[in-house]
Amino acid sequence: MKRPASAEVAELASSCRPDDHEALVHLLDAVAALSADASLPPPIRALYSGAHAHLDAFAVSGDPKSLDAARAVIVAAARRADLRQALRAEPSAAPDRPASAQPSATSDAPHLPRLVPETCDPVLVTEFISESRELLQGAESALLILEGDPDDVEAVNTVFRAFHTIKGTSTYLGVELVASFAHNAESLLVRMRDRSIRCVGGYAGLALQASDVLTDLLRRVQREMEGAAPLPLPDLAPLEARLTKPEQFGISEEERRAAWRTQADHDREMAGQRRGTANLETSVRVRTERLDRLIETVGELVIAQSVLAQDNALAHTIDPDLARKLAHASKILRELQSLSMSMRMVPLRGTFHKLKRMARDVAHRTGKLVTFDCIGDETEVDKTLVDLIGDPLMHMLRNAIDHGVETPPERQTAGKAEAGHVTVRACQAGGNVVVELTDDGRGLNRARILRKGEQLGLVPAGKQLTDAEVYALIFAPGFSTAEQVTDLSGRGVGLDVVKQSIDALRGSIDVTSTPGQGSTFTIRVPLTLAITDGLLTRVAQERYVIPTAQILFSLRPTRAALSTVLGSGELLLLKDEALPIIRLGRLFGVEGARQAPDEAILVVVTDGTTRAALMVDDVLGQQQFVAKSLGRGLPPAHGVSGGAILGDGRVGLIFDVHSVLAALRADARADRAVA
Amino acid sequence: MVETHPSPSSRPSPAAPGKFLTFVVAGEEYGIEILRVHEIIGILPITRIPRMPRALRGVVNLRGKVIPIVDLRAALGLSPERSSDSHNAIETCIVVVQVRGSQVGALVDAVSEVVSIAADQIDPAPPFADSSNTPCLTGIARAGDRVRLLLDIEEAIPRDVMGEIENAAVA
Repeated sequence: MKRPASAEVAELASSCRPDDHEALVHLLDAVAALSADASLPPPIRALYSGAHAHLDAFAVSGDPKSLDAARAVIVAAARRADLRQALRAEPSAAPDRPASAQPSATSDAPHLPRLVPETCDPVLVTEFISESRELLQGAESALLILEGDPDDVEAVNTVFRAFHTIKGTSTYLGVELVASFAHNAESLLVRMRDRSIRCVGGYAGLALQASDVLTDLLRRVQREMEGAAPLPLPDLAPLEARLTKPEQFGISEEERRAAWRTQADHDREMAGQRRGTANLETSVRVRTERLDRLIETVGELVIAQSVLAQDNALAHTIDPDLARKLAHASKILRELQSLSMSMRMVPLRGTFHKLKRMARDVAHRTGKLVTFDCIGDETEVDKTLVDLIGDPLMHMLRNAIDHGVETPPERQTAGKAEAGHVTVRACQAGGNVVVELTDDGRGLNRARILRKGEQLGLVPAGKQLTDAEVYALIFAPGFSTAEQVTDLSGRGVGLDVVKQSIDALRGSIDVTSTPGQGSTFTIRVPLTLAITDGLLTRVAQERYVIPTAQILFSLRPTRAALSTVLGSGELLLLKDEALPIIRLGRLFGVEGARQAPDEAILVVVTDGTTRAALMVDDVLGQQQFVAKSLGRGLPPAHGVSGGAILGDGRVGLIFDVHSVLAALRADARADRAVA
Repeated sequence: MVETHPSPSSRPSPAAPGKFLTFVVAGEEYGIEILRVHEIIGILPITRIPRMPRALRGVVNLRGKVIPIVDLRAALGLSPERSSDSHNAIETCIVVVQVRGSQVGALVDAVSEVVSIAADQIDPAPPFADSSNTPCLTGIARAGDRVRLLLDIEEAIPRDVMGEIENAAVA
């Protein structure tokens, strides 16, 4: 099977050294040929033209950034060409795609050989995949540490052991491709382990590539196990050749400036890794469904017990002995509950690991120097949260390095250290997980943001905005002040998606910034999505729970503090602002609610942007509750985000602060538009 | 026995014989396949949800799980409950069924019994002039002088009250 030219050129581009003129000339020719190759679609040809331009610029100026840019484009083009071929080979390709009349460079092989022999026990293969993934994660971590500290013996051993183990298991299972690739990778790693070479420069890059390829192979094995159509395999021969005889391809310890440096991080990592491996040995794998069922049952037990404790019969005829027994049972139950909740908790370490890898890649691609620190990787969050918080964090990190941190020459001119400093800090505080992303880059440009906000119609004319309000504009859809849309970010769809993801987790995101000095993004997310604190309120015969996290305070207003404004409704007058009053009775159509605000209670709530006062008849107390969906097939309930089982066994509705305040804002905007 | 000739309109396939749970709503007796029935519970305090379709009465707490309650009278388009019916309130119960992947409680006036209905006892549902509610009717069962209307409970509960479940994210 002839290798597609795009892949070969990508290979050449990645590995050729800046001073290897012959290779560069060869590369220039190859790229020129590809940009004129009629069998490639115009967009891919355009990419190669772009790469050619970069290479030309490099030839003229010798600026390494041009070479890097060329490389990035060539690799991207090769990937796209690969993907096209893969799509055409898959039987489930999009049906509305016109039949391709272009001959492909490789033959479409409908029957690719199986990766895993038919006789293999699927359970063993599944375990092999998940264990190997963990090993490779550890190896990748270790490789990143080694780039900063190549003499770390423990890290080298970790990498070697990972590949060695995977080689062994895959040989036993008969997964030939993985076994032989791991074997070839091992030949490089054994030299590192025996200290004949150090894991730096070209060798380090090679090792990381090997790790990436092995991860990809595992993904393919998993695909096969899940029954998905196999994708044509990339040609591993060139990489394997380099792994076994790197010097023949000019790969050596020669260092490109490591854009990657962190010592404090390294110390922490090592401590963590030692702890980590210890944990692996004393843990047990449990199926998630079983764990979830256990936690659900404990939750039901808690509710049943609280119904029991609040039972009128018990409350009235309370025998001191009985009371003591009940209290004892409650105490044990509370402990059981917090234990069961903690079983779903997972440290953020894994997420931080992905962030570190991304930081390295983004820094390399944008030609910036970055020192990246992660603090608090042992902070635990609920399992479901870990997956959902990763993407927003990665996007923000990408932004920080791409837009926040300046290029080394810019930083020097500004009198800063050449390497930008980006820190991610996580901790638990007040029932929330707080994650802070700080950079010491150029900070947010208030004037530009304000201008863009006015352009998009987000700023009412003439209104003075505080700094916080201006910075908060960057989370609006379609917002991007980047002058140039780079490949990575700046398309203006990023931060609003981030905000939505955080909102979906019932969290909040804030940003502070000092121009010229940097920015800090702070994400707050409730520790568990399940149990929340709430204020139980009553309106006539109905009961509503308002999540405590969104309550600022509550009060019984005096007549003097109330005002009505024709056309704008009722207002609560506080010393420095006037808040709209929302009557829950009217909102929910409840009959018999108290009518006079000065005889009712006003609960002031906020969703981070707007404040309002909710009017209820009575406040019944604070309680912890488990938020439950009302029924997933139901139409969306206005103003209600879910149900909570109350102490007497009945269902109380959870008030949806976000949607009600958003509706308020939308109404206000509509009014302004009309006015 | 009146011979009916079903017109070739779109109607659900006629009810298969088997065991049915029978119950009373607005003075008429209905039956649904017993396999659809999860459990039968007595009336529980129902929490109303604001601004929902009339057929959706609210939600209840069933052993820690929140499930919606559908008023079958309203769902089937029958006459609304008159206050003079309140003397039957003690018999009102909730039949918990599985519909489109979720559990729903159907509010009925009274539950009768579980019966086996044979094929020769089932007549196809006759075409009514006002066919807005007959999509859920799968047949008429006759045993002696008792007439029971056989329902497809999935069709009886309207989609605007209880739709398909998508893979919903966090509650």
